[in-house]
Amino acid sequence: MNVTRYVPLVVKQVCRHRVRTGLTVSGIAIAMFLFTTIQAMQRGVREATMETAADTTLVVYRKDRFCPLTSRLPRDYASRIGRIEGVVSVMPVKVVLSNCRTSLDVVIFRGVPKDDFLRDRHGAIEIVAGSLDDWRRRSDAALIGETLAKRRGLRPGMMFDAAGITTYVAGILRSDNPQDQNVAYAELEFVQLAARSGLGVVTQFNLRVADPSFLEPVAEQIDDMFRTAQEPTATFTEKAFVGRLAGDALELVSFARWLGLGCLVAMMALIANAIVLSVQGRIAEHAVLQTVGYTSRLIAALITAEAMLMALVGGGLGATAAVVVARVGSFALSVEGQSIPITAGVETLAGGMLMCAVLGVAAGLVPAVQASRRPIAECFRAV
Amino acid sequence: MNLIECRNLTREYHKADTVIRPLDGVDLDVERGEFLALMGPSGSGKTTLLNLIAGIDAPTAGTIVVDGVDITRLSRNRLAAWRSVHVGYVFQLYNLIPVLTAFENVELPLLLQKLSRRERRARTGNALEAVGIADRADHFPRQLSGGQEQRVAIARAIVTDPTIIVADEPTGDLDRPAADDIMNLLTRLNEESHRTILLVTHDPQTAGHADRVIRLDKGRFVSDRRPESVAEAPA
Repeated sequence: MNVTRYVPLVVKQVCRHRVRTGLTVSGIAIAMFLFTTIQAMQRGVREATMETAADTTLVVYRKDRFCPLTSRLPRDYASRIGRIEGVVSVMPVKVVLSNCRTSLDVVIFRGVPKDDFLRDRHGAIEIVAGSLDDWRRRSDAALIGETLAKRRGLRPGMMFDAAGITTYVAGILRSDNPQDQNVAYAELEFVQLAARSGLGVVTQFNLRVADPSFLEPVAEQIDDMFRTAQEPTATFTEKAFVGRLAGDALELVSFARWLGLGCLVAMMALIANAIVLSVQGRIAEHAVLQTVGYTSRLIAALITAEAMLMALVGGGLGATAAVVVARVGSFALSVEGQSIPITAGVETLAGGMLMCAVLGVAAGLVPAVQASRRPIAECFRAV
Repeated sequence: MNLIECRNLTREYHKADTVIRPLDGVDLDVERGEFLALMGPSGSGKTTLLNLIAGIDAPTAGTIVVDGVDITRLSRNRLAAWRSVHVGYVFQLYNLIPVLTAFENVELPLLLQKLSRRERRARTGNALEAVGIADRADHFPRQLSGGQEQRVAIARAIVTDPTIIVADEPTGDLDRPAADDIMNLLTRLNEESHRTILLVTHDPQTAGHADRVIRLDKGRFVSDRRPESVAEAPA
């Protein structure tokens, strides 16, 4: 059977029942907007916290501290850490935040030794605007993560003032690492001075090990080394570190999963309601179709296709709006100096559309089958 | 040769403990090209008989053979396929699909057949032409008068060139001039195209267009006459 000849019939039924379709599609779009936004948050969490086999980065933090304002470690720990077997590089980092709370617009400054930073990130970052030479030359220069730059409208050559630090925007950087996308990198000493925290004090050390198998033994050795020091350390893999600091935010995002499921249930109920009402109002119409020779299966397929089309149109609108908002807004959920970007792309959109198609079919199937199995003569008697 | 042969046709409905029998063991033969009218009071079983012959209802007992096929033995899906080829149904209340234009309504039965889009459009145009409504092809049912809607419904019934056309009180919702127009159209289809037509009506004047009129009462035939005498008899 060539089903394509029935497609115009389904499209006409959806397009020409304007009020029903308009209301249903609007409701689906709103539900899908929420669902896709939650998906984008969850995707950001996954990207920020899920470890992969290739991860080789450790973060050394002050033990029992969570906020960068209270994690204070002597910079000279770096030389002792660097001597441990398996450690490839150690980079002291001074973190300064515009605020420590959970927020969608936190500015994070990271003070780093410029040469160490460029060596560490070689090949992992791309300067999409501005000049790396400018950043090297000027002591007050900052490389701004692409997400932060978009959100704050920053361009190379501008002065940027946040968290009590005024910097010159030397370049915009792009990176696959979520923690690079929402920060401003500046010279370590410049940030230390601007933050009035003392030149010898840093917030953390980021270090690379030669191989993922070194992660655990190196972390243990570092924490053992400073166990009795005045400033003991706690060492984590980078993503575990993000997960630890962003625990509260992660709980919220996990809870949001239920909201997402609620959106899907609401969407399904909305489609089912529209189809049930439509089927009840079109008893004679379906009886006529049966009379002229349409089989029960074909009528059920037509009704289900209507449900799926409405779901796809509404879902497509809602999901596209969510992706556009996430991209244009460049939001990142920041907590304790760690960024969880809200990332939505083609995969999020495609996943949302697939979900819409499945829900449309699921919501339309039962009323469609019921409508198609009703005896014709009974239908005509009922109207 | 008979096109339709019904034997011992019975239809029962069960309502609570009551058995309702709108059709009670009737026999009927209809010749090919015949124009037959079924008359009788409400509840006499005429629409039930029409629906059984059209294959949209199933008898409790008895057989219906149309063009050599016992349709009571067909499965639900095969019966649907049979209807799409052999039956054109005209309803009292037209039953056009409101969101489709006249053209699209008439085209509906053709979607089931293996025809190209061009063939479908040609046949739909011819059917609309045949009922004199081609100039309203792009109109939606709400933009048509009752008589025009019924013409579209007749076009939908004849577009597949069915073996039989069944019409259940096709003029019941129309004023006299519109009703006469519709009956003249059906008569022309019967005379010029030799289509077999089965018509249910309360109206003796409408029945006067038929070759043969059968009166029913309480599920049984009470007369089987020529129309001249029907027009004089009380309804």
